[in-house]
Amino acid sequence: MGRLSATVLPPPKPAPAETAATGMAGAALPVVHEPAVPFVEIEAVRAKEFVPAAKEALTALLAEQGQQKLIRPVFNWAGRNSLFPLHWGLACCAIEFAAAFGARWDAERFGVVPRSSPRQCDLMIVNGTVTWKVAHKLVTLYEQMPEPKWVIAMGNCATGGGPFRTAYSVVPGVDKLVPVDVYIAGCPPRPEAMLDGILQLEKLIHERKE
Amino acid sequence: MQPQDLQRALAPKLGERLLGVEPFAGTAGRVRFERTAALETFRAMRDDLGFAHCAMVGGIDWVETREVLYVLWSDGARQYALLSTTVPANDAHVETASGVWPSANWHEREAWEMVDITFDHHPDLRHLLMPDGYAFHPLLRSFKLHEPEELEVKVRHV
Repeated sequence: MGRLSATVLPPPKPAPAETAATGMAGAALPVVHEPAVPFVEIEAVRAKEFVPAAKEALTALLAEQGQQKLIRPVFNWAGRNSLFPLHWGLACCAIEFAAAFGARWDAERFGVVPRSSPRQCDLMIVNGTVTWKVAHKLVTLYEQMPEPKWVIAMGNCATGGGPFRTAYSVVPGVDKLVPVDVYIAGCPPRPEAMLDGILQLEKLIHERKE
Repeated sequence: MQPQDLQRALAPKLGERLLGVEPFAGTAGRVRFERTAALETFRAMRDDLGFAHCAMVGGIDWVETREVLYVLWSDGARQYALLSTTVPANDAHVETASGVWPSANWHEREAWEMVDITFDHHPDLRHLLMPDGYAFHPLLRSFKLHEPEELEVKVRHV
């Protein structure tokens, strides 16, 4: 039968606070590395031994950890590393949005790929001034996106109306229409700021419990 | 083309309802007419004088009165001409020019929603830049800037 065993290791305890080397004398920042998913060690020589062993190990793990607790981090990991924003532009922030996907900033290295159909998107980046005329189209696009979905308000106009806040035609902040997860300040924000906003959103998704 | 050319061509058709033709820099002249003569003026300008293109229709709010301004272009003369008529603010309507120049259609929609001038017999007089049901005519001088929240409540519930 050969060697066939599966061992489920308990999730490693948080490492004792490491001392991060900083420039400041005596200042120690605790750094904790806690894996989101427990380690599974499977000993197998051949592929046909590996499959039942892995099945046994994962079943044991599921029974021990509970489905939600085990699968949620995997979904979060997959989701936050493949954010597909809606490929649309409302105003001048769209120029910075476009630049962020160009060669210099290359947002695709974070798995961010703009898609042209809201059905394929899980992220809406509202990049520009939202007028009342376009408001219900924006809400329609948001509703066409499949769950789970997130919204980034990019720039001052989308955040709070910007310089057009008191104008007769401008929505004073896109959070009046759709729930917003991350706000990016700037008029317009540089591509670095947009990438930082996406990384903040990835942090939010990482911590998502449900 | 000079203002007196416009005067000579229009006066026999409009009579008393032609209020005057004045020189206006860069154009063939500025024709002021009574709004009852709107359609005759448009047809004379297009058919007799060759102003085949309507470049713009706009409205101006002078508080008691409102002025409708038309900018025309003639390919033959390579000149602009201005038409202008004044209507009282409490009865602001004028005949549409979209039957004579189709390009006036959207300009009149804009003039209607911004300064509340109704164009009679317009084929499709509805909002152009604002959402349907928008309750204001925001380029009127009587329109006050709203607090964003207040305007939002009003726009959302129309």
